[in-house]
Amino acid sequence: MLSTQERIQVAQVWDLIAGHEASFGAELLLRLFTVYPSTKSYFKHLGFCPDETQLLTHGQRMLEAVGVAVQHMDNLRAALSPLADLHAQVLRVDPSNFPLLIQCFQVVLASHLQGEFTVEMQAAWDKFLTGVAVVLTEKYR
Amino acid sequence: MVHFSAEEKTAVTSLWGKVNVEEAGGEALGRLLVVYPWTQRFFDNFGNLSSASAIMGNPKVKAHGKKVLTSFGDAIKNMDNLKGVFAKLSELHCDKLHVDPENFRLLGNVLVIILASHFGKEFTPGVQAAWQKLVAGVATALAHKYH
Repeated sequence: MLSTQERIQVAQVWDLIAGHEASFGAELLLRLFTVYPSTKSYFKHLGFCPDETQLLTHGQRMLEAVGVAVQHMDNLRAALSPLADLHAQVLRVDPSNFPLLIQCFQVVLASHLQGEFTVEMQAAWDKFLTGVAVVLTEKYR
Repeated sequence: MVHFSAEEKTAVTSLWGKVNVEEAGGEALGRLLVVYPWTQRFFDNFGNLSSASAIMGNPKVKAHGKKVLTSFGDAIKNMDNLKGVFAKLSELHCDKLHVDPENFRLLGNVLVIILASHFGKEFTPGVQAAWQKLVAGVATALAHKYH
């Protein structure tokens, strides 16, 4: 699904995130909850105003999963199968929410990379994250 | 009707004052056409759209992007009446251009990403929220006259 060039773009950007999964993840969640407050409905356990520790903990978990996806771009279905089961059976996040998360992810990347956030990077990451979302919601029915 | 608080208006106008409309417009439209290639369907007569660099350098893309973003600027001066501001453009996009309103949402999101890349840390979650609300309002206003 991803071309060779696209895989390179994804890996290059990931190199900048690796090691900082917690802070990137926390910012991602903060943006998600600020811009799209309805998404908080899936995070009742974090309360109405999640604190920094909670955002860092959960954000790290989410970004580490993205890291797994990056390592297995050739076989997302197998690599993300347990997470797909979790989303289908337990979390059941409405699929319409994934584009909201992806938008916030792109904003995090853009605001950190600024002039270095090329159109090729944006295209590759949008395609990659959309592919991840498809796999995570594939077992819903 | 969408209502913007004083803070939201400030978040929008203070950033807008620092935006180079010509450059940002071309960049926004260019990125839309690259990231979501199916949107090229509306621009058959724009010439070379065969690669990312061709698209980003295409003079027609830049010109049209500037036109689109200039119109955005009018919206920012009238944030309390987006439907009024875009009434005629809405009719045009429905009756003559036949553009699926989903494309307005895609372009709005691309614009937000560009602003994030220009402004970095200054583009806080609160600022992003105000801008996402604006682009959503513009998209809705542009779809308002569809029938």
